[in-house]
Amino acid sequence: MSGKLSACIFGIVGFFIVLDVCATPLNAQSIEEKVQVCAGCHGQNGKPVDKTIPVIWGQQQGYLYIQLRDFKRGDRKNDIMQPIVSSIERADMLAIAEYFSKKPWPDLGQPRAPKEVANRALRANASVGCTGCHLDQFQGDGTVPRLAGMSRDYMTKTISDFRSRARGNNPGMSDLMLATAPDDLAALTEYLAGL
Amino acid sequence: MDKRSILAVALAVVSGILIGPVFAQEVKQEAKSISGKAKISSVSQDQLNKADSNANNFLLTNGNYAQTRFHPARQIGRNNVKNLHVAWIFQTEVKESLETSPIVINGIMYVTTSFSHVYALDAKTGAEIWHYKHKMGPVTTYCCGPNNRGVQVLGDLVYLATLDAKLVALNAKTGDVVWQSDIADPELGYSETMAPTVIKDKVLIGTNGGEYGIRGFLKAYDAKTGKLLWTFNTVPESSVGVWATKDATGRDMHRDIQAEKDQLAKAGDPYQKLGGGVWQNPAIDLATNRLYFVVGNPSPDLDGSNRPGDNLYTDSLVSIDLETGKYVCHLQYIAHDVWDLDAVSPPVLVDVKGKDGKVIPGVIHAGKTGHIYVHDRKDCSLIRFSQAMVPQENMWVLPTKEGARMLPGANGGVEWSPIATDPGQGLAYAINLHQPMTYHVENSPYPNGKLWLGGAFKVIPGEAQAGNITAVDYNTGKIKWQVKTPQPMIGGILATAGGLVFTGEGNGKFAAYDSSSGKELWNFRAGAGVNAPPSTYMVDGKQYVVVGAGGNTQVDFRRGNNIIAFSLN
Repeated sequence: MSGKLSACIFGIVGFFIVLDVCATPLNAQSIEEKVQVCAGCHGQNGKPVDKTIPVIWGQQQGYLYIQLRDFKRGDRKNDIMQPIVSSIERADMLAIAEYFSKKPWPDLGQPRAPKEVANRALRANASVGCTGCHLDQFQGDGTVPRLAGMSRDYMTKTISDFRSRARGNNPGMSDLMLATAPDDLAALTEYLAGL
Repeated sequence: MDKRSILAVALAVVSGILIGPVFAQEVKQEAKSISGKAKISSVSQDQLNKADSNANNFLLTNGNYAQTRFHPARQIGRNNVKNLHVAWIFQTEVKESLETSPIVINGIMYVTTSFSHVYALDAKTGAEIWHYKHKMGPVTTYCCGPNNRGVQVLGDLVYLATLDAKLVALNAKTGDVVWQSDIADPELGYSETMAPTVIKDKVLIGTNGGEYGIRGFLKAYDAKTGKLLWTFNTVPESSVGVWATKDATGRDMHRDIQAEKDQLAKAGDPYQKLGGGVWQNPAIDLATNRLYFVVGNPSPDLDGSNRPGDNLYTDSLVSIDLETGKYVCHLQYIAHDVWDLDAVSPPVLVDVKGKDGKVIPGVIHAGKTGHIYVHDRKDCSLIRFSQAMVPQENMWVLPTKEGARMLPGANGGVEWSPIATDPGQGLAYAINLHQPMTYHVENSPYPNGKLWLGGAFKVIPGEAQAGNITAVDYNTGKIKWQVKTPQPMIGGILATAGGLVFTGEGNGKFAAYDSSSGKELWNFRAGAGVNAPPSTYMVDGKQYVVVGAGGNTQVDFRRGNNIIAFSLN
């Protein structure tokens, strides 16, 4: 295939994931053109098209890079992401990660957790030590992701995948999630989504 | 269009997009600012060697090469410390966990912050002279906060180790980068938070990464060029050891030796990903040219099933030769550790009473177990260990999936916090944590540089936590005095010839105590956790005490960004 893909492609993936791959020149030079495909799922304005898809605008560069690397290695499984990253080299991964890390974090409009939920979440954090890695205010750094304001549904799914080890590229997180009570994890998810 | 077709198109688009010119590599520029002029003088090796008797300066991270953290300045003493007040406060650009050990050289102070910033300050006024802001690489993998614990200076160079595992030499007068060397690959879990130690022509640096399946080391670099001179791997290729069933204090560790031997026969020696970080500075015996340092936990922290053997030299005191990096001796505190109760607080060289009562060169280390261990410097052998400074319960119950309760919790006892000593009184001063925890085990394969705990250690909600400041007579092992604190303590402590010890708490309290009795003589509320080791120095005949108040990530104490210096009227 050569030249330009002139049409927008809309499709239904699985039950609900809408993939919107818009017109993109194959010989794209600018980073904006190169990352356009990502917007299909992760959103043109940084708000993912589905709540189980993570926010990548404003996410930590190191974390985004490691996820791309792990999709390519097969350490993290995903039917959509793995084929997309299969031909991307490290320098491109770093550039894509940097591009999105510099975008503003979108406000998903998720409500603040009620006080009793927040207190339970903070007790759970004090017990297992989430902020030891995710840092103060759950902003993340380096290869550790920001959790504050992340989609609640995505976090719920991710925690479930860590607990079942369906998400296998961070067994340390699996261990920590398994050591934390489901009710505490639910409170943490609600609390983090509302930050 | 079906899912496969969509994916094929998307893949083709992305493949096409990303074939072509590789993106330009960003040119990394270290940011710095110079906003003041001051007379910055160089430091000679002779000055560093004699740091222990220099009342004007605080030349090395822990005061001197023996790491006594005993300072000869005595202007501030028991009788007048009540008059101590703020001389100046410097606010750094970074409001995050602050573990820096300020060093002071002829009126110039060097401090660091989280994310590997360095400041040169006028030690009399707190005025900024220059600020080096390390341009961090995109990949950092670190445990327990983006901390930095300080820099060292020799000649005209300031040495810094960074979160993205680089060793950087800065021009002491300007903060400009003179050279930079890669220490290790941060993508594999290596990072740096400790201050380098510089001696003669060498810069010594360890590594973090015991939570990520690294192979730990202590490395020596040429101080002038940054060229690697030697590497001592903290985990030897034969890491099995002697199948010790008891810890250094004689308690059974409940190892299943046969299961470990079966695993060894099946999978071989696990040395390549066995952890063994070196979190804090080595002590240096200038008379024998030997280094003494402690090695951290094996990887993964809580799951020993994939790492048969004693896991040498994790959880050990180790001595090596300064010139060659060759092994001299070691003593392992906990073989095949599955509790992360490792060795992190920097060792201290003092003369001690041997088993026969004769005074000999000794080395002491405060463990996460809550004991202060006293060794013979000649062969690393253990002379005695102190009374436990914190409650110990259920040691050594093995971690379970559901969680097994044991004290101390995994932070200690004594964490990375340096101890202080007063050799005249034969006392060691340590700050401790008391955090009841449950230890949980899970099994997973090596995760390519990711967090690899092999389970979890959890603070038990509802159980009271606390801390203490403890003075131990290292010639008897007995506790001389202890001050209880409302929260676990992490940071560090300083002793002075004025008969005082200074230390801070997570609630912002910074206080001075009578070093003989533990009586509190003065305190100050900093507004953020005081979780950094204090230093002291003199300028124009006036003694100052300085400490960072910026809180702590690991124990989640309130963050701040203050360097606070105190003096008398």
